[in-house]
Amino acid sequence: MMDKVIDTQDLSLHYGEFNALMNISLPIYRNKVTALIGPSGCGKSTFLRCLNRMNDLIDNVKVDGIIRFNGQPVQGAGVDVIELRKKVGMVFQKPNPFPMSIFDNVAYGPRQQGIKNKEILKGIVEKALKQAALYNEVKDRLTESATRLSGGQQQRLCIARALAMEPEVLLMDEPTSALDPMATQRIEELIEELKKDYTIVIVTHSMQQAARISDNTAFFLLGEIVEFGLTSEIFANPRDKRTEDYITGRFG
Amino acid sequence: MKGSKTSLSQIDTIIGGLLMLLAMVASSFIVIIATFIAIRGILPFITNNSGLGSVNVLQFLTDTVWLRGETFVSTAYGAGFVIINTLYIAFLTVLLSFPIGVLTALFIAKIAPRPIAATMRTVIELLASIPSIVFGLVGVGLFLPVIYQIARSLGYSSGGGSSVLATVFVLSLMSIPTITAVAEVSIRQVDESLEQASLALGASPTQTRFKITLLAAKSGIFSGAILAVGRSLGEATAVALVSGNARSGPSFGLFETTATITSTLLQGLKETNGIDYDIRFSLGIILMVVILTTNFALNFIKRKVGNVHG
Amino acid sequence: MFMVKRKIKLSEILLNGSVILSTMLSVVALGLIFFYVIKEGTTLLNWDLFTGNYHARNYIAELKETSTQTFEMPDFSNIENVFTVDRFGIALQEDVDLAGNGVVRVYYVHPDSPFNQMLSKEVGSEETDLNVGMIFQRISYVDHPSSLSRGGAQKFASELNDPQREVFEIFFSDLGGGIRGSIITTIYLIFMTLIIAVPFGVLTAIYFNEFAPSNWITKTMRNFIETLTGVPSIIYGLLGITVFVPLTVRFTPAVNSNLIAGALTLSVIILPTIIRTTEESLRVVPDDHRAASLALGANKTQTTFKVVLPQATPGILTATFLGIGRVIGESAALIFVLGAAVKDTVNIYEPSTSLAVHIWSMMTDEPANIALSSTIALLILAIVLVINVSVKLSVKLLSKKGI
Repeated sequence: MMDKVIDTQDLSLHYGEFNALMNISLPIYRNKVTALIGPSGCGKSTFLRCLNRMNDLIDNVKVDGIIRFNGQPVQGAGVDVIELRKKVGMVFQKPNPFPMSIFDNVAYGPRQQGIKNKEILKGIVEKALKQAALYNEVKDRLTESATRLSGGQQQRLCIARALAMEPEVLLMDEPTSALDPMATQRIEELIEELKKDYTIVIVTHSMQQAARISDNTAFFLLGEIVEFGLTSEIFANPRDKRTEDYITGRFG
Repeated sequence: MKGSKTSLSQIDTIIGGLLMLLAMVASSFIVIIATFIAIRGILPFITNNSGLGSVNVLQFLTDTVWLRGETFVSTAYGAGFVIINTLYIAFLTVLLSFPIGVLTALFIAKIAPRPIAATMRTVIELLASIPSIVFGLVGVGLFLPVIYQIARSLGYSSGGGSSVLATVFVLSLMSIPTITAVAEVSIRQVDESLEQASLALGASPTQTRFKITLLAAKSGIFSGAILAVGRSLGEATAVALVSGNARSGPSFGLFETTATITSTLLQGLKETNGIDYDIRFSLGIILMVVILTTNFALNFIKRKVGNVHG
Repeated sequence: MFMVKRKIKLSEILLNGSVILSTMLSVVALGLIFFYVIKEGTTLLNWDLFTGNYHARNYIAELKETSTQTFEMPDFSNIENVFTVDRFGIALQEDVDLAGNGVVRVYYVHPDSPFNQMLSKEVGSEETDLNVGMIFQRISYVDHPSSLSRGGAQKFASELNDPQREVFEIFFSDLGGGIRGSIITTIYLIFMTLIIAVPFGVLTAIYFNEFAPSNWITKTMRNFIETLTGVPSIIYGLLGITVFVPLTVRFTPAVNSNLIAGALTLSVIILPTIIRTTEESLRVVPDDHRAASLALGANKTQTTFKVVLPQATPGILTATFLGIGRVIGESAALIFVLGAAVKDTVNIYEPSTSLAVHIWSMMTDEPANIALSSTIALLILAIVLVINVSVKLSVKLLSKKGI
C-alpha cells in the first residue's frame, strides 16, 4: 500500500545494562511526516539516531532487531555507514553551523564526497538554500560567516546543509525547540513544503506541533511505542489510555 | 560605636594603600627591566667606550661577523647574522614541532582510548615542566654524536655535531609538549554537535577531524604555537650547548654551526664592565625587540585569521 | 546499494597515517629524554654524590710515628674489593670516582691508627686525618718504589702492609665531584626566593582581586605584570646584574655576585605566576562569604585576611610549588647573576651554583662531564616529578574547596 522507506522490526537498544528501546516496530512512509512524541527520556531521540546509525558513536551501545532502508538491512558490519548517512540526513536540536562561510557550510557534504567542480557546487548550494527557504535572505552574502545568522536562519542553513546531500529521508531532532515562535513557524511551513520531495521523521516535544504538521504519529513511553497511527486519529481517538493521558496533558 | 567603625575603615584605607604600593612595585618591574637594559645597551652606540670609539648601529644590526678585531680593542661588533640565525632557527623549529604537536594532540583528544589518553596527557604535562638545561644535556649526549656521524657519512663537516640541525631538534623537543598540551585542550573543547553534524552529512571520521575539529580549534592551536615560538626565541642554555657558537654567519646549512642572540649573550662573560660587557645589553635590547615584534605580528595574524569565519 | 564496504580513499590513509606517525615521533622523542637521563644518570648515583665536595682537596702528610703494632680489625673478608692493612689499621677499597675512573678508597680507619693525626706537610696546617671516603693518590716509601693508586687497591694494600717498607709521604685527597654545595645553594635559593616572592605575590594578588578599583590604571598594572611572563629568563639575568647585584653590594657584606641577588632575580621571575595563581584561587572564593563578613561589621581587611585568604590556601600552595619548580629549573638567569663556579662551602653573600647551573658548568667544561650532569639531571627530574604531583594534589584540594 503505502511505500515504506524505513521499516523497523523489534528494534531494541541497550546502553550498557539500561534498556532504552524495547521491541520497536515502526514503519516510516515515503513522503510523509512522521512525528515521534512522548515525555522526555523515553527513547524518541535514541530511536531517531538508530535510523542513521549515529548511535554507533556512543560506547557501550548494543542494538538488536532489524532496520530496513528501502528494503535493505541497515545494521551489520557489511553496511557502509557513510553511504547510509548520505541518504538519511539529520538536523539537530540546536543549530550548529560550521565556523565557515554560508556557502562552505552547505557545500561541505558534497565536497567530502569528492565533488570539486565550482559550478556544480554552486548549483547544489543554490538549490539546497532555495529548498530551505533561505536563499533569498543570504544570496548576496554567501561568503559571510554562517555564525552571523540569526538562530532561525542558522537552523534553516543546517536544513539546507542536510538537503545538499539530496537524502531520501530527513531526520529532525526537536528542530524548533531552540527557536522563537516566528522562526518555528517558518520551519514548520518549510517542512510542509519539503515533504513533497522528502520523507521526514521529526522528534518533537510539542504535541501541538505534531498535530499541526505530521501525517503519522508514534507515541513513545519508557522505551516502547504505545501507539502509532494517523495523526488525526491519534489525537482525536487515541486507543490507549496512556496516549490519551499524555495528549490531554495529564502527564508530560 | 561610630568611632570604632571609622577606625576599622581607616585600616582599610591604609592597608589598601600599602597593597597598592606593592602592586605598583610589581607592575614596575617590566619598566625597570626595559629601562636598565635599554640604557646599558645603548651606551656602546652613543658613548666613546673608554676611548675605543662608539659602535656603529647600522653595522651592529647588519654585520655578519660578531667581532672584527681584538676584544676590548675593537668596536666592530656585528649582530646581524645572529638575528637572522635566531629567526631562521625559530622558523625551522615551528615547521618541525607544530605539525607533530598538533597531530599528537589530535590523537590524544580524539583517537586514543581513554586510559591511554589520560596517561599521555600527564606525561606531556610533566615534559612541559622539565628545565631547559636537561634538554640541552640530552642534545649534547644524544643528538651531537648522531648528527656528527650522519654529517660525516654525507660528506659534510659539522662542529662535532653542533649545528643548526641539533639546535632545531633540541628546541623542537622543548616545543612539542607545549604545543601538544595547548592544542589538546582546544581540540577537546570543540562543540561535539559540530562533529556530529559532519558525520551525519556522510563525512568520514577522518574528514571530520581534519576539516571540522581542527578548524574549530584553530584559535587555541595557534596560541600554543605562538607560545612555543616565544620560548624558542628566548631559550639560552640548551641552545648554547648544541649550536656551536659560531662567530660569523648567517648559517643556513643544516650541518653548519650557528649562534643565536641568546647563545651569543651567554658566551664569554669575562669582565663586568667595558664594551664587551655592555654590548651584551645591546643584544638584550635586540632580543626583546625581536620577541615583541614576533609576538605582535603572530597575534595580529591570529586575529585576522580567526575573524574570517566564526 | 550500500552493502559493499566503500573503498578507503588514499587521502584518508595518508591523513590517519600522519596522525599515527606524529604521535609515535612524539612518544619516541620524548621517551628518549627519560631513557637517556635515567641510563646515564644511574651509573654514578650514590650517597657520596650528595654529601661530597665538588672540588677534590689534596693533602700531603707524613706519619708521626711508625706503627709497631697490628690492629684488631673488623672482618671485611666477605666484602668485595676491600683489602685490609693490618699493619696500620686501615682498610682500602677498589672503587670508582664520580667520573668513572678507578681509585683506591679508604674504607675503614681504626681509631688508634697512625693515619689519624698525621703531620701535615702543607703550609698553615699542622695536623690532618685520613677519613673514610678519601682516596689515596700515592704513598712514597724510603728506599722502595711508591704505591700508586693506578696499581689497584689490592696491590696498594699489600705493599703498605709490607713490614719492610717505611712510609715517607702520603698523598691523598677528597673524592670530589660531589654536589653538596650545589644542593645547599639550591635549597638556600628556594628558601630565600619563596620568602620574598610568596608574600609579595600573594599581597599583590589580594590587592588586584579585593581592593583594586576597575579602572584603566588597574588594567595597565595587570598588563605590565602579564608582560613579564613573555620575558625570556636570560633577560632577567641582565636585570639581576644591573640592578640586584649592585643593590646587594651596597647594602650587604657582599662584594660581587651573591645568592641574595640571585634570590631577588628569581623572585621577579616567579612573581607573575604566583600572582596569577593566587588571584585565581581568590576568585573562586564565593562572594557570599565576603558579603556575610562585611554584613557582620567587619572591614575589608579583616574579611580578606580572615575569611577569604584561608580559603585560597590550596591555590597559594600550588603557586608555591610552581615557584619551587621554576627555581630548580632556572639556569640562564642564574648563570648571569651568580656565575658558574661550583663551590663547596656556601655563603649567601658569595656566588655559588644551583643544581641546574652546576650542569651548565660541567657541560661547558673540557671535556664535558656528561655522566655527572646526567645524574644531577636525574635528581632534578625526580624533584620536578614530585613537584608536579604536589601541584596536582593541591589543585584537587582547590577544586574541592571551590564550588
